Amino acid sequence: MLVLGIETSCDETSAALVVDGREVLSNIIATQLDLLNKFGGVVPEVAARRHTELIGYVIKEAIDSAGKTLSDVEAIAVTSKTGLIGCLLVGVAAAKSLSYSLQVPLIGLHHIEGHIFANLLSNPQIPMPHVCLTVSGGHTMLVYIRDYCQYELLGRTLDDAAGEAFDKIAKFLELGFPGGPAIDKLSTRGNRKAFKFPRPLLRADTLDFSFSGLKTSVINTFKDRVAGNEALPLEDIAASFQEAIVEVLVTKTMRAALARGVSAISVTGGVSANRRLREVFQDTCRREGIGVFFPELSLCTDNAAMIAAAGYARLRKGEKSDLNLDVLPNAPLEV
Amino acid sequence: MIVLGIDTSGYANAVGVADGERILADLVFPARTDSLEKIISNIDSVLKEANLCLEDVQGFGVGLGPGSWTGIKVGVTVAKILAYSAGKPVCGVPTLEVLAYGARKNRGQICPIIYAGTKDTVYAAFYRTENGVVSRVADYYVGDLQGLSKMVRESTVVVAAEAQSYCRLIGQAIGSADIDIQAVEGVPRGAMVALLAAARLERGESDDVLSLEPLYLKESTARAFLGRTQAKGRV
Repeated sequence: MLVLGIETSCDETSAALVVDGREVLSNIIATQLDLLNKFGGVVPEVAARRHTELIGYVIKEAIDSAGKTLSDVEAIAVTSKTGLIGCLLVGVAAAKSLSYSLQVPLIGLHHIEGHIFANLLSNPQIPMPHVCLTVSGGHTMLVYIRDYCQYELLGRTLDDAAGEAFDKIAKFLELGFPGGPAIDKLSTRGNRKAFKFPRPLLRADTLDFSFSGLKTSVINTFKDRVAGNEALPLEDIAASFQEAIVEVLVTKTMRAALARGVSAISVTGGVSANRRLREVFQDTCRREGIGVFFPELSLCTDNAAMIAAAGYARLRKGEKSDLNLDVLPNAPLEV
Repeated sequence: MIVLGIDTSGYANAVGVADGERILADLVFPARTDSLEKIISNIDSVLKEANLCLEDVQGFGVGLGPGSWTGIKVGVTVAKILAYSAGKPVCGVPTLEVLAYGARKNRGQICPIIYAGTKDTVYAAFYRTENGVVSRVADYYVGDLQGLSKMVRESTVVVAAEAQSYCRLIGQAIGSADIDIQAVEGVPRGAMVALLAAARLERGESDDVLSLEPLYLKESTARAFLGRTQAKGRV
């Protein structure tokens, strides 16, 4: 089954063609990096306008670059749950129009389910059940995956997402946007133990996360040093900050995996591209005899191939959406 | 030429079908927080009412706004993706012109007004009708009613969803018995979009299907903020 996926939940306009939820024929992603750098982050109103400009081009490119025509498309999958409302509705409006015009089934999906499938696209051998950590600029979520499309939410962030903390600290340190790659790069030259930043909720009996206190601590440390005319080793601050986030993410995910007795962990979302996060997960999982899987880099950030793959799985189960599909900006991940 | 017209820029949303100069079906439905949910089923309803299916549609017309910043994206996206999918042309029409066209049988100057969503701010323009064709005679206006009233120097028909109250306020601001301000209650209608688009499409005029975007008369709040801070040298 040839599924056209559409994803516009935040700042990437993306369309993809995927065969049988496995073979990616095209995965076109138009980023808004020019706007993000100008505004220092995602501005919902600006992002939504850009989606409206780009959506037609991106869909056409996904079809043309795969050497297909619209009449080859057998179903439409679209992110309709969780994201910025003005952004989501551009993708859903396009998806409904195509479903109506081509008379093919439509399925609306949760953005996080897409990220879960990004990893299954890259690593179809991931065993079920397993524990999945989704970490991005908008989400930090620990999910127990019983089987395809069967989820149990184990924990989530109570304030900032991990990627959001990266972005905000990078913005504070004037490292540019997105902050993750900038801090990742700077950290390679820094001392991870130079600063003792807090590890929020690390020892608490919960799988929820919190990163806003860590962020404040980094900012206060910086300001104190400026006030005291002390040296400002940006590399060390970045490396120590990154280490705190990585330690919390890995420790909680391992705790969840051991409690559930699973043999594998999957890590998805934009922050899963972080080199230190991958390194610590790999070392820790090797020691514990647990498999760890990451999506290929092109599938870490928001993309439509993961939505097409998730859509295929749901359609195979006999599910579909009707043409009154609407957006749900704050929907929980269905269990 | 059979044309489907869509306008989701306002607080009522509309779809309609016309064949050349003849209206075949027209539907206005209330918009909730956005106009996304029912847009396709309402398109399907007007086509069925006109005994047509989507393949019979030879061109698409869409109101480009100005208006509600979320709603407008739905109509423009639906129109361009339907046109792309069907391989048919699309024609965007400014929503103020759609309103003016709905009141084209009135003599003299026509002033459509759309509430801009923030306190006291409206979008407006001035049109004249000649041989059934409405033409805009001045630049688009974005601002308060006081400013708009200063531009009204002759008897004028005000077309708006709340035309009566606009009419009264403009009349008070002008304070002259020589200038007659009439109210015509109206919302942008899909059939009017279809008629305007059909006329242009029949003349061979159309917009680029992929690059079509809404008519924004106000820059986004973020851009406006960035512009102000840059002007002050803060960014």
